This record gives sequence, structure tokens and C-alpha cells, in this order.
Amino acid sequence: MPGQIQDSAATRAARPRESPLALGVRRILRRPSSRVAFFVLAVIVLVGLLAPLVAPYNPSAQPDIVALKDLPPSLAHPFGTDPYSRDVLSRVIYGARLSLMIGVLATIVSLTVGVAYGAISGYAGGFLDAVMMRVLDAFLSIPRLLLLIGVLVAWPGLSIGALVVFLGLTGWFGLSRIVRGQVLALKHAEFVTAAQALGASRRRILWRHLLPNLVSPIVVAATLGVAHVIVLEAGLSYLGIGVPPPLASWGNIIQDGADQPATLWWMSLFPGLFMVLTVMTLNVLGEALRDTYERR
Amino acid sequence: MTAPLLSIRDLHTSFYTESGVARAVDGVSFDIGAGETLGIVGESGCGKSVTALSILRLIQPPGRIETGSVIEFGGKNLVTLDDADIRDIRGNRISMIFQEPMSALNPVFTVGDQVAEVARVHAGMGRRDAWERAVEMLELTGMPDAEARARQYPHQLSGGMRQRVLIAMALMMKPALVIADEPTTALDVTIQAQILDLLLDLQKKIGTSILMITHDLGVIAETASRVIVMYAGEVVEQAEVDELFAKPHHPYTEGLMHSMPHIGHDQERLNVIPGTVPAPTEWPSGCRFRERCPYSWDLCESEHPPLYEIGSGHVSRCHLAIEPERRNNPHPPLVVQAGVAAA
Amino acid sequence: MIVAIVAAITFALIHIAPGDPFSAVMDNQNVNETVRQTLRAQYGLDRPLPEQFVRYVNSLAHGQLGWSFSHERPVLEVLGSALPNTLLLMGVALVGSFALGILIALIQVARRGSIIDYTLSAISLFFFSMPDFWLAILTLLAFAYWLPVFPVGGAVDPVMHESMGLGGRFLDRLWHLALPALTLMLLASAVVARYQRAALLDVLPADYIRTARLKGLTEREILRRHALRNALLPIISLVGLSFPALLTGAFFVEKIFAWPGMGYAVINAIGTRDYLLVVGGVIIGSIMVTLGSLLSDLLYAWADPRLRSH
Repeated sequence: MPGQIQDSAATRAARPRESPLALGVRRILRRPSSRVAFFVLAVIVLVGLLAPLVAPYNPSAQPDIVALKDLPPSLAHPFGTDPYSRDVLSRVIYGARLSLMIGVLATIVSLTVGVAYGAISGYAGGFLDAVMMRVLDAFLSIPRLLLLIGVLVAWPGLSIGALVVFLGLTGWFGLSRIVRGQVLALKHAEFVTAAQALGASRRRILWRHLLPNLVSPIVVAATLGVAHVIVLEAGLSYLGIGVPPPLASWGNIIQDGADQPATLWWMSLFPGLFMVLTVMTLNVLGEALRDTYERR
Repeated sequence: MTAPLLSIRDLHTSFYTESGVARAVDGVSFDIGAGETLGIVGESGCGKSVTALSILRLIQPPGRIETGSVIEFGGKNLVTLDDADIRDIRGNRISMIFQEPMSALNPVFTVGDQVAEVARVHAGMGRRDAWERAVEMLELTGMPDAEARARQYPHQLSGGMRQRVLIAMALMMKPALVIADEPTTALDVTIQAQILDLLLDLQKKIGTSILMITHDLGVIAETASRVIVMYAGEVVEQAEVDELFAKPHHPYTEGLMHSMPHIGHDQERLNVIPGTVPAPTEWPSGCRFRERCPYSWDLCESEHPPLYEIGSGHVSRCHLAIEPERRNNPHPPLVVQAGVAAA
Repeated sequence: MIVAIVAAITFALIHIAPGDPFSAVMDNQNVNETVRQTLRAQYGLDRPLPEQFVRYVNSLAHGQLGWSFSHERPVLEVLGSALPNTLLLMGVALVGSFALGILIALIQVARRGSIIDYTLSAISLFFFSMPDFWLAILTLLAFAYWLPVFPVGGAVDPVMHESMGLGGRFLDRLWHLALPALTLMLLASAVVARYQRAALLDVLPADYIRTARLKGLTEREILRRHALRNALLPIISLVGLSFPALLTGAFFVEKIFAWPGMGYAVINAIGTRDYLLVVGGVIIGSIMVTLGSLLSDLLYAWADPRLRSH
């Protein structure tokens, strides 16, 4: 048909480009499962952020040490009370805030280290790259939890900040591999040579050309990463080497009730449910993002 | 005249996609007789492969064979047959050979197993019997050292050998019809000739009919006795092979013939048919070849041409049948005039 | 090479920590000063760092992982006797989870798009997102306390086991193994099911599947025979990849069910600050993971005929 051949590059370039992040988010929101996940996650995040306003009681308050100890769920205390006479619902709400915060912060650390390590390794190439990769492989062969246990037991009485840092420092391995792969691929791409021919500095090339291509794996890694950290932190707190009491994190609450799991069942059930819910939503969103980016 | 082996009447196969309904096969009818070799020739996108897949009901959603289509075989309509019955026919009474021998074979099973599987499914043979029969079949296809080869995996065989495996698979149950969809396109030229000879040879031995689908006129010339030319989802010409080559009627067929380089002729540039095949979601009104045709006139736009009979056993979907003198006044095709395609 | 780096990492772990590995012993004022000095000398803690590293690697190579003061036995002995229990648990869970996961994936693909497919996907997602220890607690509550079908913990019945006959003892072990293995298995099968489903869906559009259809095979036969065999290949690498998760899961499960494996020992060591035991656990853990991925690579090479013939 006449005119059919004319469509094309010219017309497509005229439309303004969306950032890959916005594009990805917009596309996954078309799926009903992602919309539900997004909504649920938003609710949980809001609850966490607004904890002081939402929680019925102060999570550390112990108004009546005798009468309020170990009460099963009731109207006054929908999630019951713990062995220290604190309201579990409030602790779960504050726990949301803490666990999510730790998750996000630790993931930020992971992302930064991961991208930096992968980019440097890929860009430098040669011997440095080989060494860095070997070290990476070694770290990868130690299960993350074990590594964390090893570190945290050596340093008893850690602050939350340090916990976040360590959590972050153990989670960047996979991402740096991906980043390195991208960097390697792009290093030899023509447009990089062209940019160099035009006199662009190495840093400029790294920044303007490499980084935009990394957005998709970073976003996916971030979403799934937060999910992992939440689970990990809970596990560590359960073992007693995570968030220090009397602060409330989901893992901590379960730990508090760990001595009598059957009688104090509400202490194991509720924090866990919230955790699963949060992790589920993060997984759904992370995978939806991964699917959209891969399809491109 | 004896009843045809397979009779296709008014086949419509469409694909329901996001960009619209693609009528890949839009009203195709033809017959295949017992023991004959019918060739279907056309460019990619003309619907020939989809026609072949429709015969064996291998069209997957979003594609669909429309109701009203009839594919008569052995007294039954294959289109409306239930699943168990169509499976009974596949590989057994009608079989098919594809273009890409590498990807058509499962990489994790030996070739012998894969050929033998046909006999196990249809003849209920045990493993050893089926294996023996498979090896026999492979020998028949001229596979050197068949017994040893049968124990090998597809990646260990060359392209020509893999195609022999597929042929063996197709002929295991001595089917009445073999559909060959571009069987030699992915092979080296020297091997192509061997495979074609093999097919014809086996046809004589077993007495099966062959439906040869290809875009290569050379293959048609060598193997077919009757030819169908397809364009834009329709049959546009049908004739005995000699007649088609000597007296092509439809301008598309003419174009195809002329675009073949001839030994002995000096040519500066290859002849091409200007323009491209229209999109199957939007078949144009009137004659679908109109815009690329050097003879078209207003009738071609207003009236979709039927299949005119122009000789015994020779039909053509072109209005030139009723106004043959227009052939003397060719003009640059409309696509060239619109300035988009190069002449 | 990797093991060497791992050694370096663990060495760093031990020595970066404030105080030294024997803090619990060392800082205890009740311990005689001479004893402390002897221990120091014995473990070379008064030598320069690089020399310590060499001695450390040397001792590792000889299987010397240090002394566990909470058990009053060498670390290697403690972990060594506990390891088989962990391996048993992991082994059963590994096999079970793959079997269950593959089965679920097959069902999902055979009925893709149906309500069964979606429900199974949702269930896998649920189990996949669960922290291991939480599921363990729940199953413990559900099947050991509220519906007392299974025992509350341990590997054998502490009282009766010795007096049972051979068959009885086997059943007793099995009965105690059931819940922990089941918990571990459920989590792992969710992962396997998701990957296997994706792998099957990847394989289905292939040409050779079309060929199989051409031969007149039923969809079910095609799925089971042709598609699965090919889709199993990527799952084999999952075997190696799931070792870390299986191991950490086992740790929690062992603690909660009091299953006397390596995880149980290490986690208790956290409580008693028996640091060398913990480090020993980390080392053995990483060796297991490395061996696991090696196993996985070997399996893959054996299973894929394209690799076998070369």
C-alpha cells in the first residue's frame, strides 16, 4: 500500500521518551495482580509511616505488668499482649515501620555497592576484573544468612545502623554480576566508541550511556532485595542477633513468644502474616517489573 | 475421474491478533489425487504454510479454522473431526515434513527413538519392533550406516541427514499423503537435489501423494505434476506443471517466472515484482495483486476476480481472462507510480 | 581458589571482631592467667597477623577447626557428628521438593490459564514469600500441638527408642523426620514449581513439540515426554542454586524442631557465644554449597546429550 513504508523512525523519535522506570511502572500497573499488590503494599507502607498515629498503644508501654501479661487476642488488644505486657498490635505496626525501613536502607547500601563493584570490575577489565570476580564468587558461595551470623555473633550488641550496613554489605553480589555483564556488553558497543571519538571522558560515558541501561535490573533487584532483607532481618531477630530489644521488629516479636509458641500463638502468627503479605506484594511487583523489562 | 484423495473446499483460516484479524487463508479450494505430486508455490506470507497446517489441524490460538471450511479426507471432514480421530490421522495417514530439520528434532532423544515413536504410537509396536522398523526406514532414506546413526543425537548429524530422519519419520506408517513444507530450503544446494530425488523415489515405492510447498520454482519444476500458485491467502492460478511454465496466465505467476535468472541469458539486473505483499489484516478490495500488476484497470479495483477457466485443468484468478487484449498494453504498476517502490 | 578466599574471609571475620576468639574464656577473671597465656601461645595469638593466617590455613587444611568450649570437644567433632542429620534432612527435602515442584508445574502447564493454574501459582507465591522459620513454627503448632499427629521435636523418641525393634526404630525416625522435612520441602517446592513452570512454558513453542504433535501424540504425552525432558535441564542447575536456601532453611527448621543437626549446633552456639563453632559452621556451610553447585554441574553435563558426546 502506498505510504505504508513511510511510517517509522522519524515519527517515533518525535515522541518524548519516558524514563524506563516510569514506563515499567505504568506497564505493570495494567495487570490486575500488580494493581492489587501495589495497593496492599501502599497500605502497609502507610501504616508503617504513620505508626504513631495508627497504633492504639505505645509499643514499649507496660502499663500493667501483671494483669496485661500474655493475654490472647481480644477487643482491647486485637493481637493480644506479650510476656512483657505490651500490646502486640502496636508492636506489629511499629514493626512494619522498622522492618520496612531496614529493608529499604539495607537495599540502598546493596545497590550502591553492587553497582559500583560491578561497574568498576567490568570497566576495568583484565586482571583487576578477574580478581574481583573471584572474590565475588567466594562471597557467593557462603550462604548469606551464615555470613551474617558469622559477622553478627562476633560483634555483640550492634546498633541498628550497623545492622543495616551489614545486611546491605551481604546483598550486592548478584546485582554486581548483572551490572558487570551490562558494562562489558556496552564497553564494546559502537556508540561508546563513537562517544569516545567525540572526546567524551570516561566518566561521562559511564554516566550518560551506561547508567540508563542499568535502570531495569536495578529496579528489579531493589524490589526483590527489600523482600529478601525483610525476611533475613526477621530471621536474625528471631535468633536474637538482629534488631535489639525493646525495639519492635517483626522477627523480634516472634522471638519474644518463642519460648511458648503454642500458648502464645498470636505472637508467632500475626507478625508472620504481615511479613508474608509484604514479601508477597514485593515479589509480585518485582517479578512483574522483571517480565516487562525482559520483554522489551 | 477417480475421487480425489484430499479435497479442500473453501478453507478460511484466520488469526485474531491485537492488530486485527489476519485472514491468512481466505477461501482456498483444491484437490489432491492419489499418487500425485501437487506443488503450492508463493512468496512468504501468501498462506501456503498455514494451509498445510490447517489440513492437520495444527493451527493454535489465536488462529482458527473458520466454520464452513471443509477438508475432506477418507470420507470425513478433517475440520470437524474430534481430537482423538485427528491424532489418529497425524503421522499415520497424513504426515508432514518441515523446513528446519534441526529444530524439528528433540535434542534430548536419539533419532532412532524419535522415528520409532511413530510406530509405537500408531501401530502399538513394542520398543524393539519399532526400533527395527525405524532403522529399516532410515536405510530406505539412504542414510549410510543407519543402525549406528539411529543411536545418535540430532546435533551429531548433518542437515541433510536430519532431513532424512524427518522423512523417515513421515513415511513410517506409509501415509496416503505427505505434506512437505519447504523441505529443502534450509539445506545446501547439493543436498537439496538428493533430498528431492529421495522424496520422489520413496513416493514411487510407497505410492503416497505429495503436497510440495515451496517458494522455489525450480523445486516445483522438478517434483510437481500439478501446480497451485498462491497469493495473499488465495489460489491465483492452477495448472499442470508444463502448462504453467509454458503459458503462465496470472501476472503474478508471470512475474515469478521472470524473476528467475536463466542460464544463457545476459541480464544486467534481476527482474523483481515491485511492491510488497499487502498485510493479511487488510486485504485490499478487488484484485489483491492490483497495485503491483502491470496490466490492471478499473475492473480490477471494483471486482474481485473469480477463478476463470482458461484451459483444461488451467484456472486463473485474473480479469485478463475476459479481456486478454489488455496484455498488450502494460503500464508501470500503481505502486511504482505512487513513487514508493523502485521500478 | 575459591576455598582459599573463603578461608581468608573467615579468618578476617575471626580477627576483626573486638576481643579475640576466646573472649569468653579470656576475659573471665576466674581463669588463671597462665592458662590464658598458654592458650594464646598454643593458638599463636601473640604472633604477627600474616603468620597467623598461614597457620590458620594450614590448620584448616588439616581439618582443624578449633575448639568448642561449649561442647568441650573439637569443633570438627561436634559438627561432624551433627552433619549427617542435616544431610539427611536436606536430602529428603531436596528430593521431595523437586518431585512435588515438578508435579505441580506439570499440572499447572497442562491446565494453563485455568483456575487451577492461578490458584497453584498463588499458593506457590505464598510459600515462596514465607520466612522459613515462620512456616516451621506454624507447622509445629498445627501438627504437633493442636493436632498432635507428629512429635514435637528431636530425631528419635528420647525414652522409647532404644527399646524398639529395628522396624520400630525406623518408623520412629521417620515419624520424627516427617515434620521438619515437610516444612523444608514445602518452601523449596514453591521455588521449584515456579521455575519448572517457566521452563516448560519456554519449551512449548519449540519446533520439535510441533513435530511431536504431528506424530499424533496426545497433549499430555507431549508434555510429559518431550517437553518435560527438555525443561528439566534448566532445573538441574536449580539443584545447586537451592543449596544455600535449603541449608539456611535447615538451620531454622532444626532449631525449631530440635533436630540435632549442624544448624541446631550452630544456632545454640550463637547463644553461648561459642564463636569458633559458629565460624566452623560457616566454613562447612560454604563447602557444602560449593560441592552442591559442583554436583549440579556434573548432573547437567550427564543429562544433556549435547554435552555428553564431547
